[in-house]
Amino acid sequence: MTRYVRLLRLFFSTELQYELEYRTNLVLDIVQTIVIMVTSIGAILVLFSYTDVLNGWNLGAMLVLLGCFYLVQGFGELILAPSFEKFMEHVRLGTLDFALLKPVSAQFLVTLRQFRVTNLAQMALGGVVIAVGLGRLPSVGISEGLGFAVALLCGFVLVYALLLALSTLAFWFVRVDNLMALYWAFLDAGRFPVDIYPGWLRVTLSSAVPIGVAVTVPAQVISGRLDFFGLAALVAGTLVAFVLASRFWHIGLRSYTGASA
Amino acid sequence: MIRTYRALFVAQLQSASQYRVQSVLWMLLEVVRPVIFLAAWVAVANAQGGRVGTYDVRDFAAYYISLTFVLQIVFSWNAYDFEFEVRQGRLSPKLLRPLHPIHYAIVENVVWKLTTFIPLLICLVIVALTFDVRFRTTPAHLLLFVPSVALGAALSFLSGWVVATTAFWTTRVHAVSTLWDRGVFIFAGMIAPLALLPGFLQTLSLALPFGYMLGVPAEILRGGVDIQTALVLMGGQAIWVVIFYVAYQRVWRAGVRQYSAVGA
Repeated sequence: MTRYVRLLRLFFSTELQYELEYRTNLVLDIVQTIVIMVTSIGAILVLFSYTDVLNGWNLGAMLVLLGCFYLVQGFGELILAPSFEKFMEHVRLGTLDFALLKPVSAQFLVTLRQFRVTNLAQMALGGVVIAVGLGRLPSVGISEGLGFAVALLCGFVLVYALLLALSTLAFWFVRVDNLMALYWAFLDAGRFPVDIYPGWLRVTLSSAVPIGVAVTVPAQVISGRLDFFGLAALVAGTLVAFVLASRFWHIGLRSYTGASA
Repeated sequence: MIRTYRALFVAQLQSASQYRVQSVLWMLLEVVRPVIFLAAWVAVANAQGGRVGTYDVRDFAAYYISLTFVLQIVFSWNAYDFEFEVRQGRLSPKLLRPLHPIHYAIVENVVWKLTTFIPLLICLVIVALTFDVRFRTTPAHLLLFVPSVALGAALSFLSGWVVATTAFWTTRVHAVSTLWDRGVFIFAGMIAPLALLPGFLQTLSLALPFGYMLGVPAEILRGGVDIQTALVLMGGQAIWVVIFYVAYQRVWRAGVRQYSAVGA
């Protein structure tokens, strides 16, 4: 286990060094992130200029939700998107062999290998937005704080499981980057609580594409709107999703045959 | 020119037919966001007893369906491609051809719109049924919508091209185009119908070009403005098209002179 943590740290620091070579680029990326966030908050303020509550969510809770959205999206763009893109390229080019031959779990090596470090800024700003939102809510207890951490972790794992399952299809169909584009499309829906959507969209967002859950539930927990059982159900569902996606990956791996084989 | 366009058109159509699934997925990307904001406004309206300003739930549905439709016609992604071509030096061969690169971009845009038209209509019908849409459109509105959406498309295309052309100087147009995109996000009628933007934002949205690309044609299509207002707004569209046409000619000429392929 410590070996894996050490490896992760190593991957991260190499990518960080690489990114720091292009400093202007880095600054521009961060400025862009800030602009995107400020305008997103602006959109919410426009909505709330006409109402105090949106389906039971007040402005503070809504900001917390937006912060969670950027945490989950930032996490996806920090590690998952670059790693899975690379993975699909490996399958297409037949260079996955090199990862498979290394003496660590191939799933680990493939799916958590690449970092796009600038997205840490997105996650950090997401944290700031959450803090601002919390400032407008009654104070948060320790149990809510802990529950929030658990729920957020579940959100990360759910997104990981979804992307793992989607990208595993690459073993059979080779070009599946378009399916990933679909993920990004639906991710955008996470910026509002999942309960505002009409039936069919809400069901999609909380089951097949669990982005709604990944963002909405942590926000519910920390603003004190979810009970213990809801959280337990989330943890159980996340574990099931993770196990199923990993198994699917292993099945897919069996039909991988290198480029020239 | 017509013959050139026909040849370009056939070539693009053939190349696009290789990527049918891809184009449908990319279209979904465009539909999702208006639906998200539609759902949010419906939630606001329900919290306020069924209406916000002059809009009730069914008006919001009509507005956002019109907006999606307009977005599909008006949207162009030149800025993204263009940065790539300048940075990779791929623009060089295109500049040597006897035909201005803008013509390739125009044809690409039109073909993409044609190939995604039917799946888009299916999506819009589903949304319309879900939200029980009601249009207030009269035949006069429909008549005005055609030139209005054409002006919107011209405006969006020309302004996108001007923004993209800044890549000649910065190489990284991405930062500029993000700013531009967020301007569209706030002011073009995506987060709210222009009439519902609060005070100074509304003034800005009428002073800036963004609203004339999307919000104005969308309101005309749903019949949300009377004919006089529609004509005034279309006047605004025409003014911005002229401004960006002049800007495009200036910027392009100066930019090509400035351009040297990266690495040259």
